[in-house]
Amino acid sequence: MKRTIRLLAAALGTGAAAVLAGASPAGAAETIGGCVFEKVIEAEETYGSLHTIENGPKDDLEKFEDGLGDCVEAPSPILPEVDEIIWGGAAFLILLAFMTWKGFPMVKRAMDARADKIRADLDSADQAKADAQRTRSEYEARLAEAREEASRIIEEARDRALRLERDLQARAEAEIADQRARAAADIEAGRRQAVADLRSEVSAIAIGAAERVVEAGLDTERHRRLIDGYIDEVAEDRG
Amino acid sequence: MNLEFPPVSHLFDWPTLWLDGTPLAVNKTVLIYLGATVVTMALFWTAGRRRDSLVPAGAQHVAESGVNFIESSVVMQTIGPEGRKFMPFLTTIFFFILFSNITEVIPLLQFPANSRMAVPITLALLVWGIYNVIGVKRQGLLGYLKNSLFPPGVPKALYVIVTPIELVSTFVVRPFSLAIRLWANMVAGHLLLVTFAILSATLWDSTYAGAAVPFAMLILMTGFEILVSVLQAFIFTILTAVYIGGSMHPAH
Repeated sequence: MKRTIRLLAAALGTGAAAVLAGASPAGAAETIGGCVFEKVIEAEETYGSLHTIENGPKDDLEKFEDGLGDCVEAPSPILPEVDEIIWGGAAFLILLAFMTWKGFPMVKRAMDARADKIRADLDSADQAKADAQRTRSEYEARLAEAREEASRIIEEARDRALRLERDLQARAEAEIADQRARAAADIEAGRRQAVADLRSEVSAIAIGAAERVVEAGLDTERHRRLIDGYIDEVAEDRG
Repeated sequence: MNLEFPPVSHLFDWPTLWLDGTPLAVNKTVLIYLGATVVTMALFWTAGRRRDSLVPAGAQHVAESGVNFIESSVVMQTIGPEGRKFMPFLTTIFFFILFSNITEVIPLLQFPANSRMAVPITLALLVWGIYNVIGVKRQGLLGYLKNSLFPPGVPKALYVIVTPIELVSTFVVRPFSLAIRLWANMVAGHLLLVTFAILSATLWDSTYAGAAVPFAMLILMTGFEILVSVLQAFIFTILTAVYIGGSMHPAH
């Protein structure tokens, strides 16, 4: 569509340029000599020859001379032409009406809209920047809090571990002391039991040995042998 | 070598194409004025419709740059914020004159329409009417005349000299100086280009190498005339704004 419009505009432009270029007057390339030559040819076609004019009525001669004079005396370039004033003035007024009613407000609106958009974008960018900074500050604060919390937790854990260590150590030591006491009590009880057992055993042995001795009427040697023999017997029995 | 330079008037007086002999006769100059109107309309129409791009380009860029330029360099410098209501008028003047001037360097057209007196004098008289009406409306007839003819701060004895000068300057000479400045610059530019073009063509026919210098000048002058076209449009616009501003804010 845009391409078509451009092509159309280009074609119109070229056409207009061709018309304007074609509008080059004979005058644009004309010289004074050329102009005089044309007047002479015209006069010869009208009157037959220049001599006819010279010898003819005075009016014809003056008209011919005025025509030649026009070749030199062109209209003053500073005096405006009525048709150009009318067309130029009308063209300007039409353009002024269009610009006041449509052209200028359209462009101005477009410019203002863009300026507003840029301003709004800048504002939102500022807002976004402020938001980002606020979020960053919040995150940094939270991070600091988290660090502090972590330090506190680590410290507490350390304290707790230390306390636990101490407790455990105390408990272990108490346990050991307790076990040691119990073991000592057990040993003591065993020892007492053993002593009691030994005493009763020894008593029984002594009684048994005494019974043998009493039965045999013993001298010292025999006495010892009897006792030793009795002990061996007891030992074998228990063995 | 035969250097044939056409009579000066033949470089500016174009033959009628249509409606010959009537007050609505159309010639090349008229077509350029109409073309300037159509091009300006098309430019602003195209520029005003494209709102999608954040960075203006093409027609939008040209129109917006022009509007920005006129607002910041003309209106704000001469009238102030109050002058914004004249923006459509000043923008129209600027672009209409610019596009009527720039045809001077456009191939095939090669004629500045403002080298004819019609539009410069019409616009200058329009501006004259506008700033006088504004002056009377803002300051009252007597106040406007008093402020214009008896500028404050001038020793009273000097009013004998100053008042006639101001009278002629403000109410008589201004429109003509405005018109003649534009017209004369465009006439001079067109003559320069035609001179160097004819010289180049003639020297090319006879010597070939001899055409180099006038041809180089022709290229240089073409660039210069682009500058002049824009500059004259700007000068006409800023002087219009200065006159309007002067009528709105009398010197204290």
